[in-house]
Amino acid sequence: MSDQPVSGPRSRTLSRRTFLRAAGVVGGASLGPAVLRRRAEAQETPSPIRPDPAAKRGGTLRYAVHNAPAHFDVHQSGTVANIGPQSPMYDCLIRRDPRDGQSIIPDLAWKWDISPDGKKYTFYLRKGVKFHDGADFTAEDVKATYDRIVRAPTGVVIPRSSLFTTVGEIVIVDPHRIEFRLTEARPKAFMLGSFASGWNIIVRKKTLEENQGNLRQVMNFPGTGPFKHVSRKDKEVWIMERNPNYWNKGLPYLDKLEIYHMFPFSPELGSSFLAGKIDYARLLDPVSWRKAKEMPNVTAAAFNQSVIQAFWMNMKKKPLADPRVRRAIHLAMDRPTLVEVVKDTAPMQLGGFVYPFHGMSTPKAELEKRLGYQRDIKPAVQEARRLMQEAGYGQGIKGLDFVVRDIQTFKLWAVAIQAMLKEHINIETNLRTVQTSVWFDEAAAGNFDLAISAIVSSLMDPSDYFTAWYGQNGPQNYSGWSNEQFHALAKQIERELDDTKRKAMVRKAEDILEQDPPLIPIAYEQIYDAYYNKVKGQNPSTFFGIYDVCRWDNVWLAQS
Amino acid sequence: MRKYLARRALFALGTLVGVSLIIFVVLRILPGDPLVAILGVEGHARMTPADRVRIMHDLGLSDPLPVQYVHWLRDIATGKLGKSFFRGDTVAELILHRGPISAEIGFLALVVSWLVGLPVGIVSAIKPNSWADNVARSLAILFIAIPGFWLSMLIVLALLFWFGYKAPLIIVHVWESPWENLQIVIGPAIVLGLAQGAYIARMSRSCLLEVIGEDYVRTARAKGAPERQVVLGHALPNALLPVITISGVLLGFVLGGSVAVEQAFGVPGLGRSLVTALIERDIIVVQNLVLLYAVIFVLVNFVVDLSYAWLDPRIRYA
Repeated sequence: MSDQPVSGPRSRTLSRRTFLRAAGVVGGASLGPAVLRRRAEAQETPSPIRPDPAAKRGGTLRYAVHNAPAHFDVHQSGTVANIGPQSPMYDCLIRRDPRDGQSIIPDLAWKWDISPDGKKYTFYLRKGVKFHDGADFTAEDVKATYDRIVRAPTGVVIPRSSLFTTVGEIVIVDPHRIEFRLTEARPKAFMLGSFASGWNIIVRKKTLEENQGNLRQVMNFPGTGPFKHVSRKDKEVWIMERNPNYWNKGLPYLDKLEIYHMFPFSPELGSSFLAGKIDYARLLDPVSWRKAKEMPNVTAAAFNQSVIQAFWMNMKKKPLADPRVRRAIHLAMDRPTLVEVVKDTAPMQLGGFVYPFHGMSTPKAELEKRLGYQRDIKPAVQEARRLMQEAGYGQGIKGLDFVVRDIQTFKLWAVAIQAMLKEHINIETNLRTVQTSVWFDEAAAGNFDLAISAIVSSLMDPSDYFTAWYGQNGPQNYSGWSNEQFHALAKQIERELDDTKRKAMVRKAEDILEQDPPLIPIAYEQIYDAYYNKVKGQNPSTFFGIYDVCRWDNVWLAQS
Repeated sequence: MRKYLARRALFALGTLVGVSLIIFVVLRILPGDPLVAILGVEGHARMTPADRVRIMHDLGLSDPLPVQYVHWLRDIATGKLGKSFFRGDTVAELILHRGPISAEIGFLALVVSWLVGLPVGIVSAIKPNSWADNVARSLAILFIAIPGFWLSMLIVLALLFWFGYKAPLIIVHVWESPWENLQIVIGPAIVLGLAQGAYIARMSRSCLLEVIGEDYVRTARAKGAPERQVVLGHALPNALLPVITISGVLLGFVLGGSVAVEQAFGVPGLGRSLVTALIERDIIVVQNLVLLYAVIFVLVNFVVDLSYAWLDPRIRYA
């Protein structure tokens, strides 16, 4: 009908009905493609987390995590004090699925391609995403973010830069497509794990330019995340509200987040949770966690964390340069007892030189049969004494300076280790307890014989911490350890793209480390969380660490 | 009186300059790298020498010590007291936000100490060696002996496990919600107040006992004045002089004790900020808070000196 030319007297008078019909046709014709395009885009760029049909909207989640951050620059941080409260305001390129904490799913990049030679990663970015200040998100922001992470300017220290050492060029193909060109291929799991690390939040290019690349003192820089900053009281609480324009429609469910700063494992955190002042507590002390576990309306979860607790031995000191002495010290440790010693202070588990819960490490059951990890320590002690004899220290060693970081677990362990060394291989140590900042000074300067502390890795992947902890000039190789065979193997592990071959190599590396220990592993940390059952959508039991899943976008409250 | 005032003011000023110099020097010679707390252990391990130079320069820590001291004095003069190394807040903001809570605790502790200490001291002095005196003296020794942070932890745990109660988690000022504010300050105030009350009870007892034996008290009794008037009207005002003096000193104990007690109760006051700043090695915050405590202590003692001189003319003419 509308295709026919309009003629005759009726055509000259425009009725209301004709006008509306015509307007409808014109409007529909003009809007149609936009609607269809948006629908097509939505189908093309599916949301990684579909809203849960059972979920309820609204409510305020009161969450407690760690003490206040020292600064606000998430990229420059290595502590949950930053990522805990700030993560809900930001997104990454890709992310770990909050439902299991492990699989990698799309985030601001809705899909990605990896070239067959493994040297080019192309990310396709979502359209229509806005920062909290209303600016459009584009590939320029991704490039600015990653330029900074990969090659940080002077005075900006980013612990994850080492994950991207092979990134040569970052090229913007179009406003919503970006390529990372690698100088040489790395295992996919390593690269994707690096991109999915919760630390690598996308920041606006303009924000970085305005602050000369340093966000340490910029509290509220805009993100694209599910929650927006409302207010912050230093060392007390950070309050955020739902981002109504969040690109993942339907999320988040919560109206408001109140994130309280409380020291990990502290009585304050425990009492606040047990008294019902907070809904979700992270890093609970074991005593409060056990009490929480007995409560009928509470879920108490335990999961693995990417922290090794260990002590280092100064290779510049003569007896400790001998691998036999270091292995003897390694074997003299009664690890099940060491885990027991701190059971009311911090949750720990047995482990060797590789994360015990990682697929590439020696399985726990197998590890527990190995000398140095068995419940019955007699065979290990016998072997330790033999090694000391062989190294010429059968009478023991006297007066070793044992530097202890002033934290409860290390103080408890230091006394136990001192006793084990004396009793098992007649090594006498003098404990010297120092503050954390002094410990790292002393460790870096080599002013110690033995030094006990804990270190974190950015990724669970061995290639990350084989470089940082055990690498020849690794930043956390406080022992000053070196082993040519290991370093050569570590380089091969970095480059090996076949997972099966890589796993075999990691096992071989473990054997080298067992015989020539660069440090003495004591235990691996676990995390204790507890939450009231009204908190839904969170299942931390399968998480690897606390750094990748802390955005709260899929969490909801049964009673709001 | 003016000469006396000027002399005391000069002493107070000299004390503060001395304190500021000691704090400044001590904080800079203590071992430990503030960059560990700023960058975290992973960042600190990866920091290059060039990064260190840049960050130390940005923080103003690469200037010569006299220049840093002058910068601090300048910051004090501007009223901002400098910026925290960490999140960039000014110390003045921190004091304005948290100071009122600590001040309330200090004030309430002082009130509690007088409310408890003085009546107990009077009762003990009126009936020396009676059962009431013995109980009062035993309790006084007990409260002096018990460490404040330990008693605080007992109270926190008892409230939690018997009543499922925990005070508000964040600062609520008295003008925002008096009831919630009271819940935050009352615990620390009672713990600190009882300890100081014990000192006041012992001091007021011994002073009152001494004064009650004086001739003018005997004369008052001989004239037929009622016992209440003799004790409260004639003996007590004179016995109070040393108690007022000790109250000034005790405020120093309250300030010092509040650091541990605020920590135990989880009250985010200035005492707790000082502990955190020490852990973080945030020397700008530490030096300003210690100086603030010193200023308060010196001021209170200055006021005590003045009130003492006002109450006892022999002192101002001496």
